[in-house]
Amino acid sequence: MERRIKISLVALAVRLAIAPFFMHAGDLGTIYESSAIVLSGGNLYNFVYQQTLQMQHAAGLPVFFEGYAYHPLLIYFFVPFYWIYTVIAGPTPVIIGGHFPNLPVLIYPWAPFAILMMKMPIILADVAVVYVLSGIDVKKAELYAFCPYIVFISAVWGMFDAIVAIFLLLSYLTFTKSSYAMCGLMFGLSLMKLYTVVLLPLYVIRLFGKWRQLGEFLLGFLITLIPVAYYLVFSPAAFWNVLVGFQGSRVMGGVNLYNFIWIVPDVRFDILLSLLPSILLVVGVVYVAVKYGRGLPLLEAILAVMLVSFLFGKVMNEQFLVSIFPLILLCKKCDRRLWVAPFVFIFLRSPFYYFAIPILWASPYFYDLYFQADTIWRLLQTEGYLMIPMYAVGVAFSLLILWNLLQVLKSTHSTAAEPAFSRSFSRALRIRRR
Amino acid sequence: MRFKSLTTFVVVYIIALSFIPLIHQTLIAQGSWLGYGTGAYAFQSPSYFVLFNDPSDGSSKPNIHVNPSFAPNERISLVEFSDWTSYVDGYNLFNDFNVTLRASPKILDATYTRPGLVLHKFIDLSSPNSVIVKFVANKEVSAHFEMWKWIFTSVNSITIRDAPKPAVLPISTDIDFTFNDQTQAAVGSGEISLSRVPTQIEVWPFENGFNRVTVDFINSEMTFNVSGFVAEVGQATFTWNYAYLPYVLPAIAILVVAIYLLAERHGKKDKDLTRRSRR
Repeated sequence: MERRIKISLVALAVRLAIAPFFMHAGDLGTIYESSAIVLSGGNLYNFVYQQTLQMQHAAGLPVFFEGYAYHPLLIYFFVPFYWIYTVIAGPTPVIIGGHFPNLPVLIYPWAPFAILMMKMPIILADVAVVYVLSGIDVKKAELYAFCPYIVFISAVWGMFDAIVAIFLLLSYLTFTKSSYAMCGLMFGLSLMKLYTVVLLPLYVIRLFGKWRQLGEFLLGFLITLIPVAYYLVFSPAAFWNVLVGFQGSRVMGGVNLYNFIWIVPDVRFDILLSLLPSILLVVGVVYVAVKYGRGLPLLEAILAVMLVSFLFGKVMNEQFLVSIFPLILLCKKCDRRLWVAPFVFIFLRSPFYYFAIPILWASPYFYDLYFQADTIWRLLQTEGYLMIPMYAVGVAFSLLILWNLLQVLKSTHSTAAEPAFSRSFSRALRIRRR
Repeated sequence: MRFKSLTTFVVVYIIALSFIPLIHQTLIAQGSWLGYGTGAYAFQSPSYFVLFNDPSDGSSKPNIHVNPSFAPNERISLVEFSDWTSYVDGYNLFNDFNVTLRASPKILDATYTRPGLVLHKFIDLSSPNSVIVKFVANKEVSAHFEMWKWIFTSVNSITIRDAPKPAVLPISTDIDFTFNDQTQAAVGSGEISLSRVPTQIEVWPFENGFNRVTVDFINSEMTFNVSGFVAEVGQATFTWNYAYLPYVLPAIAILVVAIYLLAERHGKKDKDLTRRSRR
């Protein structure tokens, strides 16, 4: 059997063996709940918007319901698998609730099967990354296939950043093969989580002056925006609130230098302060895209923009690094051990039940063990002991991102390609103005 | 040079931001209701810290803490009102009402509504010496309110020896209580003044004291004026708590940044040495 296929199959087997027994209650619960709403013909954004309005009315604060706040296309990767699940197990809900801070209610024996089915698109995306990478470098494919961090995010927690990763990787590869329409399409699909939107200026700058190629790219990209346009026309308030309002008003934090905000219990102040990283993010991304967008090889340019957005952007959740991990593996300048920091962070931040359900809830003996461990974790958390290592890891990860960013940017410095680009870019602008 | 400036900027940025929690705690968080999380509110005055939990939780509605003068960062719970176990006209405050919260700088207004019944719970910190918890209903109601603490050593001079089983206290508009705080080697006392005469006051034994005081009344209005004081009796041992975090984070930031700069410098040195040896 071809080695490429062998690695992909082993990666699939590892993930399938783990997947039914664990879940990230909030994120997987959201996808499960959203799939059910879509299959019953409901409007996801209206549902989330209503929940937010209720929360805001009750609390008198600018708080948001943490539900489905993603690209409309995303849910259609999951709905077919949810449908297969309902055909086999019936339509009765088996994962109920679970939106932070509430615990989910799991109905056995079907809950593990539902969890497996909801993780299938993520696992397939992971396997696709392994397959594509092994066509370039088998060793790098192996690193991705068996990296504990990647396996944890996709198979244990069921977070869908691997879907972003495969489309981002394909977007890069199709660009290098001069297939610009496909590149635009793949890039548009990578927006399943919105944080890759920072790459749009880079692609535009990269193709600036090559009008036909730019047109093809934008055409491919615009196809993926059709569902966005649909929701903007038919439920504008809900769509805008859920996507723009929620993402724009998100309080900073995560595996980054901003997680100190978690000990500042003042949501209005926190939102106001979170404008600072947003401003720096815009400035940083525009600066890197304009200054280095053409001077750097595309791989390094993509990584530079993504790294600058991770460094200054306000939210950097544990799973975000998955999206660029295949590109990091392909880049000689980056340190592939970067995953260690978010992986460590997972164990500091997450409540114990994020590692225990459904498997430890299925028997009274295991539940008792889980309960004891959870009590200790909550005690440490309440006293603030965990916040110290969390902050240290957050700052350290930001600095490691800085280090990687500098390595990537230094590669142009030596080739002196950047001034050449700056000159050609300003010349192009002058011509346009005339 | 440009890359060095970026490193300098990030390093200064990290260290500067690490002081934000401390600045917020000392300059902004004092003396007004602040909302956080999924709808919880907190108020820090020079003497009291008051927490009002978010709508999904029936405990701490509110939880009144006292900050001892000998350890201002400590928060010792004085008394906790519970919605889980409080009732108005037989309806549970947590399960049977819709609750909305609105805050002005000194007063938090929790409005409980159900068909035909509207109840306001105002938590007023206008006075520096006490915390006022005031109930106002749109009609006369029969109410049962529970206040919890682990544990009261005495309530209106009655101890566990006098009342080993749940006991009804003589009707009064004042509830005085005492408690011990072993961590801080301190003894505390508190007072709850009621604005109306209750129909019943009852204490509930737990371990070496009481963990609950329940107050029943029939009225459309009732004010609980809560005040307390904690005195040091022995040598308090320093115990870490959450309130110290703002002081620690800048030190962590400086430490991590210093390690990064040292590692970067070391890395550069190694690189230079490798280059030289290759030559």
